[in-house]
Amino acid sequence: MLAVGPIALGCAAPLAAELNVPIAVRVVSFVQPSPTGLITVAILYDPGDAASEAEAASIERAVGSGLSVGRSVVRAHRVPVSTMGSLSGYRVAFVTAGLRTEQGSIAIAANRASVLTISSDRACVQTGRCVVGVTASPKVQITVNRAAARAANIRFGSAFLMLVKEI
Amino acid sequence: MRVSVPCASLRLLLLTGVALCPAAALAQAVDYQALQETVGEPVTTSVTGKPQRASELPASTVVITRTDIARSPARDVPGLLKTYAGVDVNRWTAGQSDVAVRGGVQTYNARLLVLVDGRQVYLDHYGMTDWNLLGVQLEEIQQIELVRGPANALFGFNAASGVVNIITRRVGDAPSAAATAELGNHGIGKLAGSLTLPITPMIGLRMAGAHAREDERNVSSRLAQPLRVFDVASDQISGDVTAVFDGLEAVIGGGHAVNRQVEYLPSQLLSNQHYLSSNVHGSVARDTSWGGVTLNGYINWLNAKYGAGTIANANDALVLKNRIIVTQASSLVSLDSTNMLRLGVEYRNNRLVSAFQFAERIAYDVVSGNAMLDLHPDDRVSLTVAGRLDQLWLHQSGMISQPAYDDPRDFDRAFTRFSFNAAVLVHTGKQGLLRINGGRGYQLPSLATFGSRLPIATPSPIPVFVAGSPRLSPVLMWSGEMSYSHALGATRLEATAFVTRTENAIASPGDGLQTELFLSPQPSLVARFRATGNYTTYGTELSASGAIGSLTWRGNYTWIHTDEQLTALTLPIPYALSPRSTTPVHKANLTLGYDAGRLSIAGVARYTSATRQFAFSSTPQLLLYHVDDALALDARVGFRLTPALEAFVAGENLSLANGAAVSPIPADRRVRGGLRLAF
Repeated sequence: MLAVGPIALGCAAPLAAELNVPIAVRVVSFVQPSPTGLITVAILYDPGDAASEAEAASIERAVGSGLSVGRSVVRAHRVPVSTMGSLSGYRVAFVTAGLRTEQGSIAIAANRASVLTISSDRACVQTGRCVVGVTASPKVQITVNRAAARAANIRFGSAFLMLVKEI
Repeated sequence: MRVSVPCASLRLLLLTGVALCPAAALAQAVDYQALQETVGEPVTTSVTGKPQRASELPASTVVITRTDIARSPARDVPGLLKTYAGVDVNRWTAGQSDVAVRGGVQTYNARLLVLVDGRQVYLDHYGMTDWNLLGVQLEEIQQIELVRGPANALFGFNAASGVVNIITRRVGDAPSAAATAELGNHGIGKLAGSLTLPITPMIGLRMAGAHAREDERNVSSRLAQPLRVFDVASDQISGDVTAVFDGLEAVIGGGHAVNRQVEYLPSQLLSNQHYLSSNVHGSVARDTSWGGVTLNGYINWLNAKYGAGTIANANDALVLKNRIIVTQASSLVSLDSTNMLRLGVEYRNNRLVSAFQFAERIAYDVVSGNAMLDLHPDDRVSLTVAGRLDQLWLHQSGMISQPAYDDPRDFDRAFTRFSFNAAVLVHTGKQGLLRINGGRGYQLPSLATFGSRLPIATPSPIPVFVAGSPRLSPVLMWSGEMSYSHALGATRLEATAFVTRTENAIASPGDGLQTELFLSPQPSLVARFRATGNYTTYGTELSASGAIGSLTWRGNYTWIHTDEQLTALTLPIPYALSPRSTTPVHKANLTLGYDAGRLSIAGVARYTSATRQFAFSSTPQLLLYHVDDALALDARVGFRLTPALEAFVAGENLSLANGAAVSPIPADRRVRGGLRLAF
């Protein structure tokens, strides 16, 4: 049986351009209705893109054998964007950098499967292809694209939405 | 304690809640811990009612987190607050503390509203807070929020100089417990604990309790005092059940607390008190697609027995029975992706029963409506405006004490007050924030100052009474401030300038005894609680905090000046109110914390400049006593024996500075040690 670690801010601190995994996982807990049980996350990356591969590896390390958040446990698998298919079996996708040309198809798949997409790439959120953007420098900023959330049928608790930037 | 709730009041409580209950919608109550972990800093709802980051609030606010509490040498809420800028904590006795914000130091401070999870623990009978009767343990606190400056627009009367909102931990997904056992010098002994237990995924239970005692400080024989001075003792128990159904969160709970201690009354006489308080409370929170709705209701009962020696016929216990019923409903409405409207209504009934007042029952009803608008025209600027209208009806009923010193019709009175807050925030670059805010608020006369009628012991051949006045008006407070904060990496700097104006401040009669003579049926003299004048407080607060490796540090300096137009202080002193004398001009605090594996060390150095404080001498005469300036050192060392168990020693006023308590009774050194369990 794999050990599951709690989320602690500051552990496995990501590089500035990489997704802050502890915060991204926390964001998942604010989805309504509250998720329970095992949540499998797809780490979408481009095997041919060094930055994307590096971020995917970093995310995988941060998640490790699993992170507990609320009443659920998050585990992550690397998924090459070319083989993501319909994203079936996933409830969340972490979209790495370097996938700008694929963000459109990712959004289509995510909307069909009602998958929450989270990225450190602000442009992905601003263009409505990702639901949530997370940046942690100089301080944590979370951006939620309302239209993208609606398209993927994702709803967040109001307390969370009052603390983030909605566009 | 006997508890009686009139059916009519209960019906009103229920009807109000039902009438305001909204259509079904999905819900999520505020989980402060989860939100803090998400945005990387504390989150509070105490300023506008909506969750906001601590670094982006439209009012001067302190948030003391669970981590801060665990590391601190302090052992109660005033002890935690005293190291922050703009906060004065006077430990008049070992048990009695008063917390004043930005000046206006006095005993039984009526200007700071104190809440636990939004439920008032401020005591309305005299308009004060007994910090040993809160019914909440440090072990169960998620965070303590202090809003400096009037916050009446959100919280109503008595948030005149600020609000302390104590937020307790939510029941999590796994059982958790925290307990402390400690012993120390001066008879210190404490056993406290809290437990949260998820019974099912949808129902959680929380319980907490404590027993504590300590010896009273040595009271000099030059000060008037009761023949026997109580030591401090308190017992508290509380619990609640939280249920989440279809996203709707409901909480129901209650508590009981007992406290015995010697206190300085507003008259500045030392008196032994025995308090019993109980409460029941319930709340429901729902999210909607457009915001959220919260319904809240509670009943607090207080049975206060004031000590022998404070009134002429000392064989009669001076008993005051206070009951307050509050129902509140509020709704947050998202106007669009960035702008927010909050609407709220409130009803409260407040009743005091005693043989020592104008009539058997003095009561008032208050109906209020409030609104808050939070606007963000662009990413750099935000504007917050809030207003509240309170309508109060004063009553008396039951047998009227004879001779009556007021016309019964004086108690059939109603008045309306409007309070407001406004703030502008401007982000200057990525790291700077300019805040300009202000407001107008009111401090309501307490039920005792409206209707008390106390025979007092004097050498006068004619009986003398201290009486309230039904004609008193709420004390008006204006405030304005400007603040700039800037982050430099892990270091945060803040500078604030503020001014606060208090008009028609109410004071208790001193020994000047400005009296009214009543001739019928027999001669008697009456000294009244009275509005004695105005005062203005202005000052600056400078704060900085940061971290260097494992070392955390926080420092602040406060300068306060008071101009007062109050009654004279020449002997005999007619009224015990002089914020200029009682408020320290200079205060500075430096807090250091160091964590190294299993070892944690925290130290606090506090400087307070000299003051003069009121007290009755043994003659007895009301005098202003000089209190020395003080450099007090507090410290705590903890060593984790296991991940869940810590052994600790802690001490307050290790430097044995007499003036550290800012009281006519000199401070002593209190050291304790014990075990702390947390999992």
